[in-house]
Amino acid sequence: MRRVAYAVLAALAFGGSPIAAQGLAQYEMYTLPNGMRVILAEDHSAAVVTVNIWFNVGSANERLGRSGFAHLFEHMMFQGSANVGKGEHMQLVERAGGNMNGTTDEDRTAYFETMPSNRLNLALWLEADRMRSLAVTDENFENQRETVKEERRLGVDNQPYARAFTDGLTQPFDSTACFAYAHTVIGSMDDLDAAETEDVQRFFDLYYAPNNATLVLAGDFQPAEAKQLIQQYFGDLPRGNQPPSIECAVQYGTYGERAVFDDELANLPAVIAMYPIPQHKEADTRPLSLLSTILGQGESSRLNISMVREAKTALQAGAGAQSRRGYGLFLTFAIANQGTDPETLEEQLRAEVAKVVEEGVTEEELEKAKNNFRSGQIFSRQTSMGMSQALQHFAHYHDSIDEINTDLDGYMAVTVDDVKRVARTYLSDENSHIVVVVPKPAAGEEGGDR
Amino acid sequence: MSSRSPRSVSVAALPLVVVAALLVLPTALAAQFPTEPPPATELRPLPFPEVQEAQLSNGLRLLVVENHRLPIVSIRLSMRAGSREDPRGMEGLASMVGELMTKGTARRSAEEIAAEIEGVGGSISASAGSDFFSAFSTVLTENVDLGFDLLSDVLLNATYPESELELARTRMLSAIQVEKSSPGALAGRYFQKALYGDHPYGRQYTEESVEAYTQDAVREWASTYLKPEGSILVLAGDISLADAQEAAERYLGSWRGKSPSATYAAPSTAAPTKITLLHRPGSVQSNILVGNLAVRPIEDGTYHAAEVANKVLGGGADARLFMILREEKGWTYGSYSGLSTRKDGGYFQASAEVRTPVTDSSLVELMHQIRRMRVEAIPDSEMVAAKGYLVGSYPLTIQTPQQIASQVASAILLDRGIDFVRTYGQRVDAVTVRQAMAAARRVYRPDSAVVVVVGDGQALYDKLSAIAPVEIIDVEGEPLTPEDLTPKAAALELDLDQLVARRDSFRMLAQGNAVGVLVSEVMRDGNDVTINQTMSIAVMGMNQESNVTLSVAPVVMKTVDQSLSFQGNSAETHLVYEGGRVTGTSQTPQPTGEIKSLDIDAEVLDGVVDDNAIQALLPTFALAEGAEFTVNAFQADKGTTAALTLKVSGIEEITVPAGTFSTFKVEMTGGEQPVTMYVTQESPRRIVKIVPTGQPIELELVQ
Repeated sequence: MRRVAYAVLAALAFGGSPIAAQGLAQYEMYTLPNGMRVILAEDHSAAVVTVNIWFNVGSANERLGRSGFAHLFEHMMFQGSANVGKGEHMQLVERAGGNMNGTTDEDRTAYFETMPSNRLNLALWLEADRMRSLAVTDENFENQRETVKEERRLGVDNQPYARAFTDGLTQPFDSTACFAYAHTVIGSMDDLDAAETEDVQRFFDLYYAPNNATLVLAGDFQPAEAKQLIQQYFGDLPRGNQPPSIECAVQYGTYGERAVFDDELANLPAVIAMYPIPQHKEADTRPLSLLSTILGQGESSRLNISMVREAKTALQAGAGAQSRRGYGLFLTFAIANQGTDPETLEEQLRAEVAKVVEEGVTEEELEKAKNNFRSGQIFSRQTSMGMSQALQHFAHYHDSIDEINTDLDGYMAVTVDDVKRVARTYLSDENSHIVVVVPKPAAGEEGGDR
Repeated sequence: MSSRSPRSVSVAALPLVVVAALLVLPTALAAQFPTEPPPATELRPLPFPEVQEAQLSNGLRLLVVENHRLPIVSIRLSMRAGSREDPRGMEGLASMVGELMTKGTARRSAEEIAAEIEGVGGSISASAGSDFFSAFSTVLTENVDLGFDLLSDVLLNATYPESELELARTRMLSAIQVEKSSPGALAGRYFQKALYGDHPYGRQYTEESVEAYTQDAVREWASTYLKPEGSILVLAGDISLADAQEAAERYLGSWRGKSPSATYAAPSTAAPTKITLLHRPGSVQSNILVGNLAVRPIEDGTYHAAEVANKVLGGGADARLFMILREEKGWTYGSYSGLSTRKDGGYFQASAEVRTPVTDSSLVELMHQIRRMRVEAIPDSEMVAAKGYLVGSYPLTIQTPQQIASQVASAILLDRGIDFVRTYGQRVDAVTVRQAMAAARRVYRPDSAVVVVVGDGQALYDKLSAIAPVEIIDVEGEPLTPEDLTPKAAALELDLDQLVARRDSFRMLAQGNAVGVLVSEVMRDGNDVTINQTMSIAVMGMNQESNVTLSVAPVVMKTVDQSLSFQGNSAETHLVYEGGRVTGTSQTPQPTGEIKSLDIDAEVLDGVVDDNAIQALLPTFALAEGAEFTVNAFQADKGTTAALTLKVSGIEEITVPAGTFSTFKVEMTGGEQPVTMYVTQESPRRIVKIVPTGQPIELELVQ
């Protein structure tokens, strides 16, 4: 079957059909009786397999006073379980010739291993063992809590501009209407301090249950064998309670408050302008994403040309569309050059956005942004790891996983009118929220260089 | 494989119907969860993709690995010349050709090349290795023409602009300086030199060779060696042989010729084991490299046996070297061994980075483990694990068309043939214990090995001499005698008229942006001198204050007090010099953010200065063009004395905010961070500019 389909596809591609048709993802999806979703994407082009498991929990699921748990768990998951000692997970994977990691964001927590295909069983066993019997002990909790604090200290508190680009991005969200996005992924250190080991256990029981997990296998495996192993390792995990749904309401057009960050580590001002945008699965995500490329990604982007190269008011300027399962953010930002004040930066950022609202973008700019999007997507699916991430993305961020094969067409169909329309709809002054970074000398620093 | 756990066997062996039933009624009947990691299963051999071939009219050999899974094409052109063909005296020239090739052609500027390829989300680059030169481009199928066009444009029409050459030269020179403070890089450099001697593989780029490059030389190298005959073009991904051939003829058909092939006498392999000790005063760690010439690319079909033996010895975190030197002895973070293949003969190398006091023990253990490989049969369990790892992890390196093209290219270039990649797994799997041992005896030659140790010669010389004859060199490769290892008391001749009370303010620039300030104040009361310095770097949240007292005529250090606050941390250093000793404590922040504390109680010889005083004393040295000074400097962060070399390398006119000055350019080496300082010729002399080598930082005198 598959071989025929390939041949037909290849023939089509050579016959000049849209290239987007080539490289379609092929997969099957089923659900275990305990509610765990399984997605199998067989591809025998290399003897490599990726096991990628996402838990449907991110910082957005956290409650007020209990922030930082989702990320803390990513650490806890490497602290050992019934049959795997502390730190052994990494060692077993490396010695088998594979590689692994884990990541957490607002909307999900991901764990993955890429292995030689004859070690699929090891990766599945390692994932299952920690789901079955994670060592939630006082000792592990205490030491991972300290590790997370250190991560916050080194990665955020001690990096110039980092507080503005983490804490700052929660500004557009109201803690009452949308606590989900009104706090950071790393969370509050006070919340972590106040947490008890039992809270951690409860969080694990609720969110690390099979009915809250999606397991993807991508690459070289035999589906029958894989299904049997999955059944053996994960099948008898008990179903958990249904996690509560996420509440988040955002009002557009309310003129956000201006947030000012005094930054002892920054020595030049910076400005971030943020605009709430709809959920990732909405069609408007596509023109917004292409617009962010046109405005602020790469040497020839509008912000780089106007602010960095021509006006020379900014050292760096860019834009991005951070889409999420819930509301996302479109943002533009600039770091000042010597002698530019934050007011000027803000004015120029707004002016570039206003120009798009009024005049739109050119066909040529849009074409280039589409090229970049498309090649980026294709290159990212070359490996089993890349393909597994794409499958998980569509399983979690879209209405149907089948959109994995149609989403690109949607991007290619975006018109200059679409871009202008979304700019007008979302990127208005009354929909903006501004973060300003003001350099502030550290206590005790006198006669500085400014 | 035979060692499946009984539980998984019982399930796998059930008839299909029962398995299907299990899937429907899972919880009751499923096999239990294993309490041990499941063993590796049989690796189904996956055939390496078919490699198609054609010969082009200009002698270029075309190889196509067709794969239409994704609309991606990787174009890789490899030529049989590399740094092996660097002209004598211009070592490193081939790398320079690679770096400059994409920086402008007769048709396109550097910016245009970058913009065109980025506009379609592709990539283009070129680089030289020791034996080969490659140029690559990866693009979507629809942009194959652009990929070919750019590749042929840079190959045939590159202009190697003078301005780009100068930029690259500057980068390379500062990279050399940085290498001199990197013990790992130094060890590698002198290991190659000891291994290959005067063969081109042993000749390394230096400041002199980099200074010697000219635009003509770059162009001549490219036009001499980058020729189609004998070269290969590998296309991998979404393209057919016919399309590839047509495009190659169209874009590369006019490229003609054959490059000369030089032959070199094979380096000698028979000399008895000798240790090269590179003296790095005060080093608390040693970098050890042990190895010998060994591996030829084709040999007699025993390469895979050598690979298996090497995996057992030092090929990862479960190999013997790692398990013994790190896990069992705790001497190092890691110890590994590897094989390197070269056209004229490759080598075997084992490495370890260890603490100074266990350097000799580590070297003895390394040699012991190497000898063991020659005489002891490798147990079955280690053979199975080693082969399993090699066979299993190989596919992770051939997932993308780019990776496949690279594997195919190197198999062809090293004359291993396509079968090397096609049947890699089967060949490795077929290796027997007997073959692995035979390979070990051929590859590992501990009695005629090359050993390089980079570390504190004073602490290491006697101990290493007990293992094998030791030759000592300094960072520049100059020979040293054992007597040179002891810092000698040397009174500094100072021109005290140059030492006047003053206050200098410097601004610190990072890539041209002001990021901090340094204020240096010298006070003098007769022979008593006080130096106060304040440095603050706002962008790093760093503040440092130091206060140094000493007397001059002769120079005798008295006290050093330093406090540093760094991203919310603080570190304090307090030293007292008295009666030929220095005592106190020092604290130094590490790159990891930790603070390293050291209790100091060390002997100091006459004439030793604290390294914090050098900057203030430099104007009083007898500066003249070409003059060179050795200063024994106590380094509080290490707790030891190092011999620093200060050399006046030229006279330069320097413009800083405080004005334009004619200056002595003084280069200081021998410490952790090489630095260049510019001192006015006019009296009283003062420092007007300070440039740490290889850092994007400069300090300029403001007033």
